[in-house]
Amino acid sequence: MRKRVVITGLGVVSAVGNHLSEFWNSLVEGKDGVKEITVFDPSAYRTKIAAEVSHLDPEAHFPKKEVRRLSRCDQFGLIAFREAWKSAGLERDLQDKERAGVVLGAGSGGILSVEKYFRGFYQGQKKSSPSLLISYSLATTTDHIAIESGLKGPRTTTATVCSSSSASMGVAFEMIQMGLADVMVTGGSDSLCEVSYSGFSSLKLVDPESCKPFDKRRHGLVIGEGAGILILEELEHALERDAPIHAEFLGYGICADAYHLTAPEPNGEGVERVIRIALADAGVSIEEVDTINAHGTATLFNDIAETRGMKRVFGERAREIPISGIKSMVGHCLGSAGGIEAVATVMTLETGMIPPTIHYEVPDPLCDLNYTPNHSIKKDVRIAISNSFAFGGNNVCLVFKKFSSE
Amino acid sequence: MEVYNKTFRNTPNSLLRTPNSPKDHRVVITGLGVISSIGVGIEVFWKNCLQGISGFKPIQGFDVSSYRSRLGGQLPEIDFKAFIKPANLRRMDRIGKIVVSSVRLAIDDSGLHLREEDSNRIGISIGTGLGSSDTVDQFFRSLLKEGPLGAAPLLFQTAVPNAITSHCAIEYGIKGVNITFSHKESSTEMAMTFAYHLLREGRADVIFAGGGDELSEPLYHVYSMLGALSPGKGRGAEGMRPFDQDRNGIVLGEGSGILVLETLEHAKKRGAKIYAEMAGAGLSGSTDGLLSYDLKGDSMARAMSLAVKDFQAMDYISAAANSTPDLDRAETFAIKKVFRERAKEISVSSLKSLLGEFDGSGGIRACALALSLNHGMIPPTIGTKHLDPQCDVNVVLAQSKNMKIRSALLNSCSNGGSNISLWIKQCSSS
Repeated sequence: MRKRVVITGLGVVSAVGNHLSEFWNSLVEGKDGVKEITVFDPSAYRTKIAAEVSHLDPEAHFPKKEVRRLSRCDQFGLIAFREAWKSAGLERDLQDKERAGVVLGAGSGGILSVEKYFRGFYQGQKKSSPSLLISYSLATTTDHIAIESGLKGPRTTTATVCSSSSASMGVAFEMIQMGLADVMVTGGSDSLCEVSYSGFSSLKLVDPESCKPFDKRRHGLVIGEGAGILILEELEHALERDAPIHAEFLGYGICADAYHLTAPEPNGEGVERVIRIALADAGVSIEEVDTINAHGTATLFNDIAETRGMKRVFGERAREIPISGIKSMVGHCLGSAGGIEAVATVMTLETGMIPPTIHYEVPDPLCDLNYTPNHSIKKDVRIAISNSFAFGGNNVCLVFKKFSSE
Repeated sequence: MEVYNKTFRNTPNSLLRTPNSPKDHRVVITGLGVISSIGVGIEVFWKNCLQGISGFKPIQGFDVSSYRSRLGGQLPEIDFKAFIKPANLRRMDRIGKIVVSSVRLAIDDSGLHLREEDSNRIGISIGTGLGSSDTVDQFFRSLLKEGPLGAAPLLFQTAVPNAITSHCAIEYGIKGVNITFSHKESSTEMAMTFAYHLLREGRADVIFAGGGDELSEPLYHVYSMLGALSPGKGRGAEGMRPFDQDRNGIVLGEGSGILVLETLEHAKKRGAKIYAEMAGAGLSGSTDGLLSYDLKGDSMARAMSLAVKDFQAMDYISAAANSTPDLDRAETFAIKKVFRERAKEISVSSLKSLLGEFDGSGGIRACALALSLNHGMIPPTIGTKHLDPQCDVNVVLAQSKNMKIRSALLNSCSNGGSNISLWIKQCSSS
């Protein structure tokens, strides 16, 4: 018998809010988190903007010595984790730490720290501190969270970058299905760094002004950063301790385009397959899907392929389903994108508010669905899905349901 | 079933985990692909394993004169054109070529005809500690040298850690499950665990599982700066000596190993040769510090206990022991904790003595384990001469050992604390 899995804790750090309520209010209001970059000097770049996290004082969260030891990615992850963990009441309730684990998704991880080291090293400064190299592994943030909270259950890190933290939720879900854990910390954290910024920039995939998913004027993504952490818990375990339940995680799909290293399969065939696999896994019919959190990167090709894929699955009904492209506000947070978007999807189910796709002005005939332009809408929603796609045609789709105990 | 039919009336059934299919499929190993420092392909690899041939040589390709260490377990020159289609080969960096080639070898060994299979029910699950570390470094250097406008886009697209998995999906048209794990020394074991679980649930027919890592200059630098490489500040010769009282650190290695994991039904239907059955996975964590091991071995013991269902039938453990005192001892304590008085009867060896340590070593070690079960042979732990008194398990030393192996464990343990043990046994035909 398959175990039912619910979400009992949420935590976020993002360009539009450094905790859950601020993040959610900003999304509902359609606030744009994109600004000029400060974590590195962007003057030599074609584009100078990112959805950077601001107003976050690390020393308010960590002792001074720790701040130096933790990469920016670790800090975001730990701050979001603490919020999720505390709000789930697990600090108080968790009896068996051997049955609680951590699976996070990673993107560029602590590369910002590693960059610092190698910049010094290659430019002949002998002073680079080897401690910066601890962040060389993508597992570092995952380990930090487990170590801080003493969690001795299963632990791993997924590394599919733009879909990492959605994939991590699937893996965390399976850890509960395998009977190895009752509680899993999942989602992801990622920070801006020059390697990924210049990478996307060199591929000419970055919009110089703003992120405009599905709009005809779109020119590419805007990189973001932050963390989105979710606590997955086996239903009985959650009910027994009277935990706050935000929503149910019904299932997921994961598959490949097997098409190209960077471009998505243009007809949306891979998108169609992953949504169908996810719905089948969740036992949900096409008619039941009430809202979609799109991958919506605002690159020319993604938005067309994703639109086509959704139409292939939902047919005529595709036009009726409100779709959110929250990357227009929080940017593309790479390794944490799926986690942050999963938090938003869960909040959508819980509050009945569907966040908008902002900067949407000029419709694209090739993207002709209801993207919830510029203003959030209120609608009672029961089933929501969240899409994440990565380089190399790695596709993930998550299915959530408004919680009811039946 | 009604919901299911309604949703999928236009979808081929093959896409889906069918809700009415039996759960608990048995999972078998039907193909092995190895690219290692001691052999490309399982024939050479296995012969050298049993003869105890070391893969260590002075590092080639970059200058190590400023380090205390000299050795590495680097791959021989490989003609990747023999394995990979030319159009795809151009787009791959070195680690991409290594992993894609190991998948080719595994496919060939398994006798699978991918064209006759439903590509949606074929998946790939890869583990790698650092993926394209060399490409990331090259990209970063191009950024430092040329500035952002000169940064090379072609390097960037292969620099992401899942590029290796995507290369495989594209090369072989694998459209099912596609995932990449990166969690230090337990990366590949996680990839196999995930594949095993999905197959058990009937979510795929075949999943290529395993992975590997490359030995790059930046990686060598990082390991050296973090003080992990033999001889370090210690005395004694440079080398890999798991469980030895005179060990002094690790030698870095590289390579990739892929297992063809398949449901038993599917394997039987196509008349596949079966090496062994994957029968359990145990996962646990320890919380002693970012670069530390659980010295008492409790967490490794937990991973082993969760994996194994029949403790009496345990004959062999392919150890995670990597020539660092903390891990070698922790693993010894863990083995004794789990198997108690039987611990002495269980043969233990560490393939890392031949291959060196690297995050994604589990793929190759799992291939060797499947061969051990198949041939009743255990490769030696070379280099190790004087057992650490605190490592008093039954280590197979200089000579390989011939014995019947009913079941075996593959252990992994990352510093920082992710432990995965896989239980692999003889496949009874029923």
